[in-house]
Amino acid sequence: MLVILLGKDRQIRNLNLNNKKCSFTFCNKTITFTTNETMSEDLEKSFVKQLKENQNIIHKICRLYTNGEDAHNDLFQEITIQLWKAFPKFRGDSKFSTWAYRVALNTAITLYRKSTRSVSTISYEGQYHFISPEEYNHEEEEQIKLMYQAVQQLNDIEKALVFLYLEDKDYTEISETLGISEVNARVKMNRIKGKLKKILNP
Amino acid sequence: MEELDLLKKAWKKDNQSFNQVSEVEIYKMLHTKSSSIVKWILIISLFELGFGFIFNILISFTKYDSRNIELLKKWNIYDGYVVFGVLIYLVVFCFIYKFYQMYKNISVVDNTKQLLNSILKTRKIVRNYVIFNLISFALFFVTIFSIAFYHGYIDLLATRGITHPVIPVKNAIIFFIILVILTSIFTFLFWLFYRLLYGILLRKLNANYKELKKIDL
Repeated sequence: MLVILLGKDRQIRNLNLNNKKCSFTFCNKTITFTTNETMSEDLEKSFVKQLKENQNIIHKICRLYTNGEDAHNDLFQEITIQLWKAFPKFRGDSKFSTWAYRVALNTAITLYRKSTRSVSTISYEGQYHFISPEEYNHEEEEQIKLMYQAVQQLNDIEKALVFLYLEDKDYTEISETLGISEVNARVKMNRIKGKLKKILNP
Repeated sequence: MEELDLLKKAWKKDNQSFNQVSEVEIYKMLHTKSSSIVKWILIISLFELGFGFIFNILISFTKYDSRNIELLKKWNIYDGYVVFGVLIYLVVFCFIYKFYQMYKNISVVDNTKQLLNSILKTRKIVRNYVIFNLISFALFFVTIFSIAFYHGYIDLLATRGITHPVIPVKNAIIFFIILVILTSIFTFLFWLFYRLLYGILLRKLNANYKELKKIDL
C-alpha cells in the first residue's frame, strides 16, 4: 500500500516503517497509522480505492448541502469518516455507490452538525459552473443554472429526493433510502417539481 | 418538468468540476476524528448522566454522616431516606442501561427516518433522566425542609417552655407555600435553560424528522 502511495505522490517524505507503525510527512504534517494486521490494511486499501473512484457522488452531495469551499470539504471529510466507520458492515452485496448514497445522505441530513438549510443564492454566484460550454447553448446553460439555484433553496429532505432523482434512482430505492413509502415518495417528488416551478416562475 | 431533466442531463455528465481528492488525502481523513452531532450528543449525555450520578452519590454520602443519621432517626425518617436512596440508584442504572442500548442502535446505514428516530429517542432518554432528577431533587428538597421546619419549630417552642407545642396552621401553610414556590422557580429555570440548549442542538434533526413524517401522513 505504501509503495503505491509513494509512487503516486511525491509530496510524501520521511517515510518510517516500524514493525507495526507507519508514519510519513505530507504537507508538513506527520501522519501516523498502525497496521497491526494485513486484514485491516487490505480493508483500508480497498476502501480508499473505492472511495476515490466514487468520490464524485460525495462531492455532489456536499455541493448540494453546503455553501462554500470550507463547508464542502468539512462535510466531505465527515462523510468519509462515517463511510469508513460503517465499511466493515458493507458486505459487497450491493454496489459501493448504492451503499455510499445512503451513508452520505444520512450524514448530510442528520449527522452533520452545521445547519444545511436554505443556502442563499447570492454566495452561489461564481462558485460553480458544471457544464462544459460547448455542449449547451447559452439559453440552456442559463436554465440549468437557475434550476440548480432553485434546488439549493429546498429543505434537506427535498434535496435528498431531488438528488436521488438526478442520480436516476427509482422510487423503490428512494423510498428505501429515506424510509418513506414508495407511493408517498412519488407524490412528494411531484410536489417538489411544483415547488421548483414556483421558485423559477414566481 | 423540462428544466429538471435538463439539469439531470448536465448533472450526470458533471464529473470534471470537482477538485479530486487523492488517496493520500483520503488516508489522512480516515485518521481524523468525527465531529458529528451524534458524537456531541454522546458527550453531552455522558456528562449529564455522570452529573446526575455524582450528584446522587454526594447526597447519599450524607447518610454516612453520623450527625445527620442521628437527626434523621430522631425525625423517624431514616428508613424512608434509605429506601429513597436505593430507589434512585435503581432508576439511574435503568436509565444508563437504556441509554447504552439505544445508543448502540444508532446506525448510519439505516434509512434516514430510522436513523433520525433512533437519535431522537436516545436523546429522549437523557431528557427523561433529567426530568427524573429534577423531580426527585425537588421532592427531596421540599420533604426534608418541611420536616426540618416542623421539628425546628417544635424544638424552638419547647425551649420556650411550652409543654404541648403546636405549630399555628397559618405559619405552616405560609412556610410550605414559600418552599414550594422557591423550589418550583429553581427547577423551572433549570428546565428552561435545558430546553433552550437542546432546542438549538436538535433543531435540524427535529425539523428533518418532522418533514419525513409529513411525507407519509
